[in-house]
This record gives sequence, structure tokens and C-alpha cells, in this order.
Amino acid sequence: MRWAPRDADPVATFARVPTECLAPPRDPASALSVEVGRAAFRTPVLLGGQAGRAGLTCETCHKAGRGNPSFLFPGVSGPPGTADVTDSLFSSHRGDGIDNPKPIPDLSAAKAKLKIAQAPAEHRLEPFIHGLITEEFDGPEPSKAVLAGLADYVRALNTAACPAAATEPVTVGYYLADARRALQAAKGEVAAGDAPTAILMIASARSRLGLIDERFAGPALSAERRQVRAADRRLAQAQDALRARHPDVPAALDAWLRDSRGLEARLAAKAPASLFDPRRLTQAARRRLPG
Amino acid sequence: MNMTLKTVLLAGAVLALGSTTALASGGGGGGGGGGGSVSAPSESAPQYDPAAEYAKAVAAIKARQYKDAARAAQHVTDAVPKSPDAWRLLGAARAGDNDWKASRRAYERVVKLAPDDASAHAGLGVALANLKDPKAQGEVDWLKARLQACGDACPDAANLKALTGAVEGAVAGGPAAPKPSAALSGHMLFGGPKAGDAAYVQAVSLINQKRYDEALASLADAQAVFGPHPDILTYQGYTWRKKGDYARAEQYYKQALAIAPDHMGATEYYGELKVERGDLAGARKMLAKLDRICTFGCADEEELRRWIELGHEPQR
Ligand code: HEC
Repeated sequence: MRWAPRDADPVATFARVPTECLAPPRDPASALSVEVGRAAFRTPVLLGGQAGRAGLTCETCHKAGRGNPSFLFPGVSGPPGTADVTDSLFSSHRGDGIDNPKPIPDLSAAKAKLKIAQAPAEHRLEPFIHGLITEEFDGPEPSKAVLAGLADYVRALNTAACPAAATEPVTVGYYLADARRALQAAKGEVAAGDAPTAILMIASARSRLGLIDERFAGPALSAERRQVRAADRRLAQAQDALRARHPDVPAALDAWLRDSRGLEARLAAKAPASLFDPRRLTQAARRRLPG
Repeated sequence: MNMTLKTVLLAGAVLALGSTTALASGGGGGGGGGGGSVSAPSESAPQYDPAAEYAKAVAAIKARQYKDAARAAQHVTDAVPKSPDAWRLLGAARAGDNDWKASRRAYERVVKLAPDDASAHAGLGVALANLKDPKAQGEVDWLKARLQACGDACPDAANLKALTGAVEGAVAGGPAAPKPSAALSGHMLFGGPKAGDAAYVQAVSLINQKRYDEALASLADAQAVFGPHPDILTYQGYTWRKKGDYARAEQYYKQALAIAPDHMGATEYYGELKVERGDLAGARKMLAKLDRICTFGCADEEELRRWIELGHEPQR
């Protein structure tokens, strides 16, 4: 919940998100690739570098794969909703010294409206995203599966797939559903023998837990935060197990997925006392320090 | 600073709610090219006592409440005894209070920590002159030599001339002392947090452009506003590391970690410094610490892990 102008409407900016317009492909291999991209899109570890260290993800700018009219980052944004992705604040490669913030595009807009051709045969989307990660954002080289996944995810975003409602509320369940999808993608990559990609998928699930934790702020919710952190620890251990090439990771992920249902119920019960509650969110935003 | 409520919007609210755990990991993100975090220091300053006390001291000097200023500045020097900014501020506060002995002692510390600091030489000169100590002339000479070396056209010339004039005036026993606020840098007096943030963001860009000397100057401007802030110290360490001065870099990382022991950026960069020095065991300790403090994972940890696996900086 950051990088917005001070006078942004907290409910519009943080309590609701645009709905995702995703048309997942049918065949399992392509579907897995889209899910890998979807999870990578949602973790700062993908970006690394300055942006990743600041906690920025692809999704910070392209909320649910769309735009972000209130995005504001000191030194990188012009008016809210724009970003200068060639800024040297994020990049040691592409800082062009020119102040040229651009509107953040809705990636699920009609394909004809987008600048980068998406047809696989054109070979433009993958190099574009590769450049974004490694040059614009100074991130580490992504794995092949992750790069392909991001391109497939962007391709699968489609206006025709937009749900009737333009926005949806941000809830515990919203973030946990993302975490579960990321872990399913992790299992797919473990099965494919791609440990580095699986580790990134787990990182994405952990990022989502972090977003839950930050809304369970305050001493009254410390018991809930402990549970979220314990769930995170288990995922960190699964990452370590993958690095050490332990074979039991899928079973551990399955157990986590099962237990996540109970966790969700317990957290949802307390959500009205947390910043998931729009009223509390507004109050908290109003109580901000002067200046 | 990852994954925290350290948002522009909610920063105040979090403090009110007392969720300092989330905030304490704050500040620590930051630093693709650099070290601290890319969010503005003015947002996170209140959580670090020395930075908050520093701000208090600057405000008190502006309000001519020199005793209050000295008290606050002393808290900063107690917490971060190696910070020249803190001692410079204390020297100015003491001067305002006409406690020339204490002012001299403070400025002597600055000159020891930062021998090239012109405003400290000026402050010391003024204090010595008021103590009728003939060594004041030595500071006039130092400033004049500096001005000559840098030439009339150098960006610092006007400032050096003003400083020289102030010390000469004090030696001549002229109208008492110059206003102590003259010892504060322009940024401190006129800029406030906004200018400090701007200088900081500028520094991060300069680091990414590998313009390290200019970056250090911008960081000094930011530090004049915020005092010893862990994000700024971390970037100072990072910049010195890139300039090849590992010992100096280490000092800055240690200062940052003394103020904010769980600072993610400082921990990561200190770990990378250890890799560069061939101390892999030390680097692994930093990695283990990041694993502990980065709840929910962080890019800093993954970056240091790559360094350790390769035994050197990853290719970009
Ligand atoms: C700091 C905000 C920001 C982040 C983070 C970000 N983007 Fe973007 N993205 C932009 C902006 C602004 C543009 C438009 C650039 C332009 O018009 O030149 C853009 C353009 C794009 C486009 C091209 C759209 C078109 O018109 O064809 C794609 C695809 C894209 N981004 C994907 C991503 C992916 C994948 C990530 C994560 C690796 C990412 N973006 C991260 C701001 C961001």
C-alpha cells in the first residue's frame, strides 16, 4: 500500500483493485506457463535491483495486469499514473537523463492499441520484457520458463475476458488465492525439474503473505500476524529444500495448501479489525502525521 | 523497507498503531545501484532516533533555542559518535549558546572525522577566535589555501569566501560572532525535508550512472538535512565501496547498522563487501541475518545469495 499521492482516496486506491481480464489457455502446458508468468508478475524478487529492493513488482504499476492511475514514485513518476521506465533511479543501463514519464498502459487493452506486437512469431514481446527486467530495472537474468511465462501471461490478458464488475474488494482470500496459484505453479515447475523457477514461484506466494501481514498491523492483531509469519516460514523452508535438492517439496507444498484453508478462515474472521476493512483503512489514512 | 506499510499514505497511521516491526524493516530495502532505499528519507526518519533528534536540533537552532539544540545534537553524537554532521551541529549549537570551549571541542571532532570539511574549519576558527586562541589564524589560512586551490570559478568559491570572512571577522574581534546558523549548510536552513529527499533521490540516480563523486556530494546534502540516517549511510558506504575504498565503506555500513541493526540494505551490502574481500563465511552470516529479517522474502536476500554462490559480483 504505497506509492500513491497523499490525497489519494484510500478506499479507491487500496481497498479495491481492478478485476483481472485473463483468458487462460486450455492445454495444460500453456496454462502452466501463464500461471508461472502470473506469479512472477507479482513478486519483487523478479525485478531485483533498485526496484525489487524497494518492493516494486510488475503488478505495482500494472494492477491486476491493468493500469494504475494513482501510481506515484518520487523521482520516477510525472503526474500520478505515469512512470519513467528509463529513469536512472531504477537502472544503471537505461537512465537516459531525460524526464519522460509515460502513462502506465492497461496490458489487457485491445491488442491493436498496444505498442508491442504480441504474436509469438513476431518475437517482440519476450525481448521487450527481458529488457524491462534486466535493463530498465537492473534485475537478474530470468529463467527461460519465467520469461516465456511472463510473455504468455501478457498474451492471455484480454479485454474480452473482463468480468462484469470493473473492480473487486481486496480481501484475505484475494491474496491467498494468488498465493495458492503461485504454489500450484511451483509444483508444476518442480515436476518439470526447474528448481530456480519453482523457487521464484514460492517467493511470489510469500510476497502475497506479506501483503496480508501489512494489513494486519497493530498490537491487537499480533496473534494473526504470527500465524501469517509461520506460514511464510514454511514456504521459506520449502525454498531451502529446493536449493538443497530435497525430494519432499511437493508434499510440503500440498500440506501448506491444505492448511491454508484454515488460515484463511481464521484471518477472515479477524479481517474486520484489520486494514482490510475499508472503514479502518480510511481512518488510518486520515490519522497520518501532519506534513 | 519491503512489504511494509511505509507508504506515503499510511506512514502516520502505522506509527499511530505502533506497528514498529513492519516499519523497522523499512528503510532497509533500497539499492539496485545503491544501498539504502528509494523511498524518501523524510518518510522514515521519525523511526530512527538519531535522525529525529537531528531534525529537532536543526529546528531549535533556527528558533535560536541553542540550549535545546545542543541537547538534541548531543543525543545524536551519543548515538552516532562517528557522524561529522552530528558534531558539526553540536558545534553550531554551542556557538549559539556562546559556549566556545564546547563549540571548539565539537568542531575539533568534525575536523578529525572529516579533515576536508570547510564549514567545520570555519566553525573551529570562530570558536578559537572567541577564546582568543592564536590558532584561529591557522583556520583562516586553511580556508584561504582551500579557496586558492579551488579557484575563483569553483562551485564552492562563494561559500569558502563567506566562511573565510566569518573567521577573519571573529579574529579581528568584530561584532561578536556570526550567527551560528551560518554554520549550517544552505540545505539545512532553506531546504527542509523536501530538499533532502530531492538530494537523496538525485544521489541514487547518480550512483546508477556511476557518477560517484557527485553522488557523495548529494548524499552529503541529504545528510545535512536528515542527519545520520541509515539509508543515507548505506548509500555512502555503497559509493565508497564502488570507489574501491573498502575500509571507509565498512565504516558507513557499520554506522547504518548501529542505528538500525535490521537494516536490509546495509546488511546486504555489508555482505557483498565481505564477498569482495573474500570473506565468504562472513558473507554467509549476513545472508542468514537477511533470511531472518526479511519476513516474506526480499530481493536483497536473493541478490546476496547470488554473490555468494558466484564468489563475486554477478554479471549484468
Ligand atoms: C514503474 C512502473 C512499471 C513497472 C514496475 C512495470 N511497468 Fe510495464 N510499463 C510501464 C509503462 C509506463 C509502460 C509504457 C512505456 C511506454 O509507453 O513507452 C509500460 C509498458 C509495458 C508493456 C508494453 C505495453 C504495450 O503498449 O505494448 C508491457 C508488455 C509491460 N509494460 C509489461 C511489464 C512487465 C512484464 C513488468 C514486470 C517485469 C512491468 N511491465 C513492470 C510501467 C511499468
